[in-house]
Amino acid sequence: MIKIDNISKEYKLGQIGGTTFQDEVQRFFAKLFKKEDPTRKIGAKKYGKNEKLLALDGVSFEINKGERVGLIGNNGAGKSTLLKLISRITSPTKGEIGLNGRVVSMLEVGTGFHPDLTGRENIYMNGAILGMTKKEIDSKIEDIIEFSEIREFIDTPVKRYSSGMYVKLAFSVVSHLDSEIIIMDEVLAVGDIQFQKKCIEKINSVSEEKNRTVLYVSHNMSTIRQLCNRVIVLDKGKVIFDGNTEEGIKTYENLPKNK
Amino acid sequence: MDNKDFKTVINSKHRLFNLHLKEAFLYSDLIKLFVRRDFVAKYKQTILGPLWAIIQPLLTTVVFTLIFGSLANGVLGISDIDGILIPSFLFYMSGSVCWGYFSANLSETSSTFIKNRRIMGKVYYPRIATPIASSISNLISFTIQFVLFFIIYLVFLIKGGYDLSFSVNILFIPLIILELMIFSTGLGIIISSLTTKYKDLQMLVGFGLQILQFVSPIAYGLTLVSSKIPNLMWLYNINPITSIITTFRYSVFGTGYFNLAFYLVGWAISLLLFFLGLLLFSRIERNFMDTI
Repeated sequence: MIKIDNISKEYKLGQIGGTTFQDEVQRFFAKLFKKEDPTRKIGAKKYGKNEKLLALDGVSFEINKGERVGLIGNNGAGKSTLLKLISRITSPTKGEIGLNGRVVSMLEVGTGFHPDLTGRENIYMNGAILGMTKKEIDSKIEDIIEFSEIREFIDTPVKRYSSGMYVKLAFSVVSHLDSEIIIMDEVLAVGDIQFQKKCIEKINSVSEEKNRTVLYVSHNMSTIRQLCNRVIVLDKGKVIFDGNTEEGIKTYENLPKNK
Repeated sequence: MDNKDFKTVINSKHRLFNLHLKEAFLYSDLIKLFVRRDFVAKYKQTILGPLWAIIQPLLTTVVFTLIFGSLANGVLGISDIDGILIPSFLFYMSGSVCWGYFSANLSETSSTFIKNRRIMGKVYYPRIATPIASSISNLISFTIQFVLFFIIYLVFLIKGGYDLSFSVNILFIPLIILELMIFSTGLGIIISSLTTKYKDLQMLVGFGLQILQFVSPIAYGLTLVSSKIPNLMWLYNINPITSIITTFRYSVFGTGYFNLAFYLVGWAISLLLFFLGLLLFSRIERNFMDTI
């Protein structure tokens, strides 16, 4: 279903893109004549040409159809970068990712919601951005509204919503998507306990009934326990554990503190 | 890795010209919704609603007519031949309607990446969908304005007394509108691609548009230019906006200035910029999130 083959993603350190074109031209000529970079601030840490951050360093694994995988690790371990690569927001420096089926990535709650549009209009907007056709949304709109528990506000512009209502609406859209691969980045943390529980049950039932693959990133171990049947632990851009949920959580909790 | 097993393969390789047009077609519902959103959101919480699409060019035209009005058929006339009389209101309106589309579409498409970086940083969809949607939603406003222009044109035509002649040239209009779309979108996506790293160009767009408006025959006719700088007329005519607007006027009024060579040059420049834009766009869209 998903095959990640020796993926690396490199970011240059220092001020990238934060400089003007003039600086870049000066730097180019300085390099040409082997002089010191004229645009470098005095006393600033010098980042050499080879000082790069490997956000992901040769990550490989496979996820089969129907698996619900939790991706855990400390901040900076490369979890979000990996999700960004799988959801094609940016491209890898090295390696390849192979996918079968439609990917829906929910890296944020309510992506593409327009404040001036009503809840109903935003369901269509959000659904379309996530890859649904109008026909699919038409057939599911009633279920989505029902699930969101905010039927009476559905024709009000979302800028008047409370943050809880906003989240409920956004999540209802995602949980009704009919895609083979669902990717989520810590999106369940918002919303009240009851709604969270409802969401987890929904994802679990969808995954079991329709054999959907789920990739979930979280720092909340209880959600991971409820949702996932496999855990991958990332540390400094490398996979250090892959397997059983409980063992994975133990590995993560026993990680030495960063520095 | 054996790629045959997978429908989607993500890697670092980049094909020179890959815009995911097939995918953009699959996302046609999204494009429709973007168009609807642009249009609906623009006029939400306004009393006059889409009437604003008409009011803006009308006010510009009224201002032009009041300031330059009597000059339209004299110094500022559209034709070299003396004695031709075109209602100045129609003359200015034709210019400002075309210009309105160009400037609105250019400023919207040129900020494609910057304005949508929040969405684009969170979800994948064919990025080209955004500029396509902007150029279509602006076309809707343009169509409303054009219909209004045509009604006023018919009123003048029926009233008589002017040198307006309705001819088959009017069939040229869709072609001119297409050129206008291609030119503004092409220029827009070039700017949007270049501004993912350096935002300088973004600052220049407003100013550049103002300059371009002055060097295009929107508030005046070609006669003014040909009488002042007869030797540099070719340079003035190379600007695609000039040939677009003069040809537009020629097609609706049935009289005025038309030069096939300059018109074709305008098309060539538009197409060239458009393909250059697509090339840059497809290059930038893969990794722009890392630098923007």
